[in-house]
Amino acid sequence: MTTPKRTHPLGLFQHIAKSLKAYWFLFILLLSQWHHINSIWFWGTLTLMIFVFLIWPTLKWLTLSYIVTPDAIIVHSGIFVRHHEHIPYSRIQTVQRKQWFYLRPFHLEEVLIETASHDDSAPEARLAAVPTSVATTIEHYRHAAPVPATTAEATTTSVLPAEATTTAATALAHYRINSRDLIKFGLTSLIFIPFLLVLLGLYNKIPKSFTNALIDDASHMALALLIGGALLIIVLAWLGAFFWTLTRYYHFELEREPDQLRAAKGLFQRNTITAPLARIQAVRIKQNVLRQWLHLQTVQVLIASKAASDDDDNDLVIMPVIANQTVYQTMTPFIDWLPQTAPDLSILRVPRNWYLIRNAILFVALPAIIIAWFWPHLSWISLLLVIIAGLQGRFAGRNTAGALLKADLLALQTGHFWTREVYYVPADKIQSMRFQQSIWMKKTQLAHLTVNVRHGNHNQAIELRYIPVTAAQDLYDWYLHRA
Amino acid sequence: MQPTTHHLPLRIKQIWGYSALGSFLVLFIITGLLWLTYRYWDWAVWIPIAGLVLTIVEPIVELAFIPYRYQFTRYQISDLAVEMQAGFIFQKRVAIPIARVQNVTLNAGPLLQWQKLTKVTVATAATSHSIEGLELPEAEQFREQIMRLAREARHDNA
Repeated sequence: MTTPKRTHPLGLFQHIAKSLKAYWFLFILLLSQWHHINSIWFWGTLTLMIFVFLIWPTLKWLTLSYIVTPDAIIVHSGIFVRHHEHIPYSRIQTVQRKQWFYLRPFHLEEVLIETASHDDSAPEARLAAVPTSVATTIEHYRHAAPVPATTAEATTTSVLPAEATTTAATALAHYRINSRDLIKFGLTSLIFIPFLLVLLGLYNKIPKSFTNALIDDASHMALALLIGGALLIIVLAWLGAFFWTLTRYYHFELEREPDQLRAAKGLFQRNTITAPLARIQAVRIKQNVLRQWLHLQTVQVLIASKAASDDDDNDLVIMPVIANQTVYQTMTPFIDWLPQTAPDLSILRVPRNWYLIRNAILFVALPAIIIAWFWPHLSWISLLLVIIAGLQGRFAGRNTAGALLKADLLALQTGHFWTREVYYVPADKIQSMRFQQSIWMKKTQLAHLTVNVRHGNHNQAIELRYIPVTAAQDLYDWYLHRA
Repeated sequence: MQPTTHHLPLRIKQIWGYSALGSFLVLFIITGLLWLTYRYWDWAVWIPIAGLVLTIVEPIVELAFIPYRYQFTRYQISDLAVEMQAGFIFQKRVAIPIARVQNVTLNAGPLLQWQKLTKVTVATAATSHSIEGLELPEAEQFREQIMRLAREARHDNA
């Protein structure tokens, strides 16, 4: 492939779909002018729509071309301003392949390539519909390109291309979700909360006269109706979220190749992400409140790329749901440096939860006082706020923990918003570390410690608050004097 | 190389003094506007009074803390890491390994330019940390030193 190639005509649909997603409100504009069909505004809007939904995407598709050379991927794009993106293989963070079901019969897919560059929130290259062979070729060249070694264990062997193709074919470990786990994952997902908000928004759109009539008819059982309606909405949101998760994580698969991880998932759109192991910034094991009760965990990796940004909770999920007791033995074949068993993290535990409870309550104090002052009949909301804040403070205190597991592996646990998270961070992926202590904390022998890790396009600050000063100081000194 | 502790140049105190003056002026103008709302729009009288109290107290506190601020703002460079310290009531120390440094930026606002000082920002792949003001030659030497050490310790990351 030495001459620039255009993407497949089906890619045009992708461009049009993107325009529709961004400018759907033009349809509402058009509908609002339906009554003045002869006015200039109506025809103006129609012309604008034809331009936005047909001409612009077509031009975009026509002007985008790409070449895959042995050293780099080159993408030319732009209608008025021409962009020439040159991406060397060694700079690639993730390659993401998205295949919509209608592209499958044509062996086409969308390919997104990302580097660690700070500049853009968009991927460096987005090829709307290209033959599946393109991604395979990229993978092939990428194996040939030496990945700069970063972890202490990683060896800097620049593998020969021929060797790479043979080794790439053999997966070292493989995991495929079974339907029971998938259902568990869907049922315990908390993304039903955004669904709930959408449904509530729709509820507001129902004409008032209709709901009023309904309430008038059934005023004698208004309360029952109200509670029933609320329950119905919650169940609907929950089911919606359940099926949404089900289609997105359908046939989730994780594969370990010698130097990279490959995660694939999705029913209508098959989404495959490959990330080099050496580029993993941290591993996060996460439990929302539902999954804590059921002893289930989710494993994610933090990488310096936005590839996973539309993923559940903004991260690349490598293990959607797994029982507490098997998480480590399941994960170590995929990521060698994770501990074999659940480690003891008690060194960095919070000795007294009181300070965290106090701070959480102070945080809600002002709104709580304002509510109780101006709307005395709503003071129960204030009380509820204070209780929730206090419990959250206690939760944070009980879940803060951490320890230095090996000379080059740090484990940190936090509790935010009823989500327990354990981070495993290789020492050389820590970008900086902050030690904080107020003069009052000198008396109580406590300190805050913040570990900064690169995550997506930004910083992930892992903050342990009110931990024993000696332990925090030891860790800080270890980091400062690490060779 | 032994880590050496550096203080900021003494002239930074003047800059802080001027910035306290600046916040006095800004607060004073805001208080004036609040007084106008009381005078013409019948807003409550305690609003401009609270503004006035803040206008007086805030710059005094800012001025009073300058010696402490100076005393507790320090930075250190060793072969392995840069360390910055700041704060008297809330003490902060941050450690940045030289190998993690992506770039060092010098920039100066009008006040700093006038005093021939410059702010130094050390950026990693995730965070950035600044030293409030250094003498221009000192800042350039700092940058050279870090970039030289960073080249030596270079492990391509992120």
